[in-house]
Amino acid sequence: MKGILVLALSAAVALPLAAGDIHGKVTCKGVRDSGDAVVYVGAIAGKTFPAPAQHAKIDQKNLVFWPHVLPVLVGTTVDFLNNDAVLHNVFSPDGCAEKFNLGTWPKGEIRSYTFKKECVAATLLCKVHPEMEAFVVSVPTPYFTVTKPDGSFKIEGVPDGSYTVKVWHPKLKPTQKAVTVAGSSAADFEIAK
Amino acid sequence: MNGFKRGTTTLFLLLGGLVVFLGARPAAAVPAFSRKYQTSCQTCHSIFPKLNPFGEAFRLNGYHLPGETEEQVKQKAVSLGADAYARMWPEMVYPSSLPGNAPFALNVKMANIYASSHDDTGKQIVHNDFQFPQEANLFGAGTLGDHFSFFSEVTYAENPDGSGSVEIEHARLDVISAFGPEHLVNFRIGKFAPNLYDGFQEMWLMTDNGVDTLFAYNPIGFNGGTGLADSGGGVSLPARTRAIEMYGVAAHRLFYTVGISAPIGAGGPNGQFNNNSSKDFYARVDYKFGGMGLDGDSTGVTLPPENWRETSFRVGLFGYFGNGTDVNYAITDPAGNPFQMQQTSFRRTGVYGSLYVGDLNLIGVAVHGSDDLSLRDNDTGEELSSATRTYDTFFLQADYVIVPTFQVSARYENLRPADPSVDTQKAFNLNLSVLARANIKLMLEYHRDLHDAQNYQLAAVLRAAF
Repeated sequence: MKGILVLALSAAVALPLAAGDIHGKVTCKGVRDSGDAVVYVGAIAGKTFPAPAQHAKIDQKNLVFWPHVLPVLVGTTVDFLNNDAVLHNVFSPDGCAEKFNLGTWPKGEIRSYTFKKECVAATLLCKVHPEMEAFVVSVPTPYFTVTKPDGSFKIEGVPDGSYTVKVWHPKLKPTQKAVTVAGSSAADFEIAK
Repeated sequence: MNGFKRGTTTLFLLLGGLVVFLGARPAAAVPAFSRKYQTSCQTCHSIFPKLNPFGEAFRLNGYHLPGETEEQVKQKAVSLGADAYARMWPEMVYPSSLPGNAPFALNVKMANIYASSHDDTGKQIVHNDFQFPQEANLFGAGTLGDHFSFFSEVTYAENPDGSGSVEIEHARLDVISAFGPEHLVNFRIGKFAPNLYDGFQEMWLMTDNGVDTLFAYNPIGFNGGTGLADSGGGVSLPARTRAIEMYGVAAHRLFYTVGISAPIGAGGPNGQFNNNSSKDFYARVDYKFGGMGLDGDSTGVTLPPENWRETSFRVGLFGYFGNGTDVNYAITDPAGNPFQMQQTSFRRTGVYGSLYVGDLNLIGVAVHGSDDLSLRDNDTGEELSSATRTYDTFFLQADYVIVPTFQVSARYENLRPADPSVDTQKAFNLNLSVLARANIKLMLEYHRDLHDAQNYQLAAVLRAAF
């Protein structure tokens, strides 16, 4: 009997949990469209996730950071490529990103920074071009996405369970709600100034 | 000729002169905002340049829509710094923005002025002038980020002698919601029509003629002021000033303004802009009952879809106080002897009211003026005598929207000059305005001295804003 129980528990642990998704729409009030909102699953108690080996990328082209908003898992290294024929700089005034300043570098070169802590959000600026602005949102789980201009989003590969799903936007107040994932699960949000 | 007759004739001549030569009037419809918000002139104007309640809120909000959101601004601004730089000030320059397109707009005005007046002998003089163009106005207006706005107007006017004149009529910078609750504390600096005259200075009236009995009265005279003056007279209410002003709206319905100003006129010696070192002071406080809040708030109010209509009453008290010491005006006594006169101090107190009932808007202003006048020897400048002279003036205007395309206005003006030998001046102004298009206006306007059927002006005016 005891052996059967051990076998059953072992099998349960060995099997992956059923994975679903969280999808829905974020309605952003007072801004041009509902894009650029980061939707992510907040910290899961007792669960940590290894930083990905692959670097994320932010391009600097035509005097614009691209993408404008980049969510990453804590520990991710972001490469900043200067794709312009002019010098660029990247720095952040935010303490959660250690107020890093990567200096100034020319076209074709890359400088990198590793987001070691949760940081919602690190503002990226360029001292050479004051109007340039972007955001890296460093979150504690790999379950995140950025909304499309119509506000729609889908976070795939989320195991079934109960989570706190959070929404952050560069110009609007953040929000969060509890979401139970069982297969494909819907959650809608509305945020405003 | 006795004093009374001489005074009356002088008054009529001055009025007649004004009628003929004061044709140029400021315009104040700013299509730059139509472009920015991709919206019609009639969003803010019942008939340009007169503002409707929403337009008044837009103006008092520093050219931001009430509760403005990003998607309402169709012409995206040019960023002069990421928002995050605000947190880094003063290490980094505080962020700002520029209007997406050059924030300019033009008004042109064509006028056919048919005017009747008298010459020195009492003979009627009639002129029929094609003033094509009478003037053209180049506007610049917009916002610089959330807390600054600007407004400028450069006017080119054609003169009767064929020459032209260019004047910066307005050039001001506003700091919006500088601190405290939104809309409460704003500052303005520059050359402008003070908010002291909100609702009744000519740039906010639907008529072509301004209220000259308020703004063009000349208080200087041997026995006090006798009537109107085009320029060169003393200060009555300066329609535009160089000033620093604070203004705002509290609790949606209370409006206030205070300012320190220097009237625009002949400058002082050595290239000074102001003809003396004294500065004037003005203040006004209003309350609006009913209708849309002065900041655009409509909480608890049911407003009709016709945005020129509401049921409201706005009442205000205002004052303008100044000192004209050391500024000499040349006058003559009844015998023709020359003297100098100084308007050593002056006080203006007034009441303003605006009543909206459906399609009707009644506007009224009454002003009491008091001037301390110092009579001086023409050669030595030594004071010979001094006296306090008072005058009273008021007007009542009814604007009516027949339909948005056709609107009419009737105004009665009354001025009791300080000189007791001069009769009270009464004038009537009737206007029919037609919006041929939202930005093209035709006006037929009749202005008459009620003492003299031969002292009148009939103007046909075409204005276009683009």
